[in-house]
Amino acid sequence: MLNDFISQVGPSTVGGLASGAIYALIALGYTMVYGVLRLINFAHSEIFMIGSFAALFVINLMGITGPLSGIALVGTMLLLLLASMAASGGAAVVLERVAYRPLRRRGASRLAALISAIGASIFLQELFALVIIPEVFDRPSQGRNQVPVPRLFDRETVFSIGNTDIRNDHLFIIVAAVVMMVLLDVFVNRTRIGRGIRATSQDPETAVLMGVNIDSIIRTTFLVGGAMAGVAALLYAMEFENLRFNVGFLLGVKAFTAAVLGGIGNLRGALLGGLMLGLIENWGSIFFGSEWKDVIAFSVLVLVLLFRPTGILGESLQRARA
Amino acid sequence: MLLEIKDIHVHYGKIEALKGVSLEVDEGEIVTLIGANGAGKTTTLKTISGLRGLSSGSVFFDGKDISRLPGHKRVLVGIGQSPEGRGVFPGMTVTENLLMGAYARRGDFSKDLAEVFELFPRLAERKDQAGGTMSGGEQQMVAIGRALMSKPKVLLLDEPSMGLAPMLVAQIFSIIKEINARGTTVLLVEQNAQQALQLAHRAYVLETGRVVKSAPAADLLDDPQVREAYLGGALGQH
Repeated sequence: MLNDFISQVGPSTVGGLASGAIYALIALGYTMVYGVLRLINFAHSEIFMIGSFAALFVINLMGITGPLSGIALVGTMLLLLLASMAASGGAAVVLERVAYRPLRRRGASRLAALISAIGASIFLQELFALVIIPEVFDRPSQGRNQVPVPRLFDRETVFSIGNTDIRNDHLFIIVAAVVMMVLLDVFVNRTRIGRGIRATSQDPETAVLMGVNIDSIIRTTFLVGGAMAGVAALLYAMEFENLRFNVGFLLGVKAFTAAVLGGIGNLRGALLGGLMLGLIENWGSIFFGSEWKDVIAFSVLVLVLLFRPTGILGESLQRARA
Repeated sequence: MLLEIKDIHVHYGKIEALKGVSLEVDEGEIVTLIGANGAGKTTTLKTISGLRGLSSGSVFFDGKDISRLPGHKRVLVGIGQSPEGRGVFPGMTVTENLLMGAYARRGDFSKDLAEVFELFPRLAERKDQAGGTMSGGEQQMVAIGRALMSKPKVLLLDEPSMGLAPMLVAQIFSIIKEINARGTTVLLVEQNAQQALQLAHRAYVLETGRVVKSAPAADLLDDPQVREAYLGGALGQH
């Protein structure tokens, strides 16, 4: 068993970091919205799903059927990134406007907003299963089946560390996620709007006294959190090459888990929680087999929360919130 | 008149918190609003700064009716507030907290920042410390300094002495006096009536949502009823 672990630990670390990076990008949306509204946006998983189908839509539109390379690949990837970020970010803004803001205006409880979120989540899944996948993706009466995504580039080993081959697709996912995280961190910590977001999450009433327009901050938060899910959506579509109307569900739950594991409301916590979850799943699979992946992931969550109820980087609600 | 409140009524659900409050603050004054817990002092300030909507009546500032102006726009017309409980952003440094005061303004704030640090040298020493880890007195300084960063025409102070040791209270009050001397109008809400009346030019006494008395502050210090209710009743000393 130990020998198994030693021979497989390298590859499963790389795989774990790649899935973890995707979890982390999605987790950012949960954690940012929680920061400003103290609300778990359960429809965030569908924001991710919409981004993944937006990427596929553009792939089809461009008539891509096989691997690209060189300048065509770079241009296509940038275009796809733009499309999935815009679709997810835009959908998140619409969701906030339609499903949350009217409730907030009327002083509804957070439970009402939670039900609204679950409702929006089911609505969006069914909209894709019943209308968009059959019609737009031309798969009549197969709205609930998987939709394949063509391979965008050939997978090759870029370099090796010991017996571990590092593939270009894994490298791309990890680098893209890290770049996005750094950009987001700079945005939240170094810009004026970022200060407005932090002020709103730490003390909304005082933020108003400072001249912060809370509605506009909330909209920006949904937009940015959604766009991050859009990045994750493109990376996921590229790596797993299959989409489904409910592709967001399990990923959403895992990303939410990552956000809680790292400390909900904390951006760096989302990164840490995502990567940890990815690694734990993959390392655990070596011992117990990959069918136990999800069991391992959630068992670790329960264990961590028993000892650190606020998550690894989480602090009490009155304390620092990125 | 810089600030004029006319017969405002404010409700929390079905409970009427303010039952027709009127008050005026002229440019350059320090006006204090005293009264027991729950009299409506904080609600009055929140209504002026737009955190609470009013059911009827109006708020005039600088000659304009601002009753319906959203809260986040009132800082732009010149209303700065140090809120109840100080409202320091716990996860931001002192400097970031102060910069939040200038959030609605554009341009270079280094001069304003230097001015606040000159007024509160303590904050200059702690400028990189997180707001949440500061002492009560220091947090009060952050809250006042932050409000000044908005370049307010009127500074609303909600219980700046709350929870502070007597020496710190004296220090904060002398800084309020200095801020006023430099040209900022002050509306001060206090439970510490003795000190507030000594500092202010004029005062209003609030009881269960109504103004029951308004007079020059010095007169209220000698008013037997006020002494009885708010100054511990002790006669012959103040």
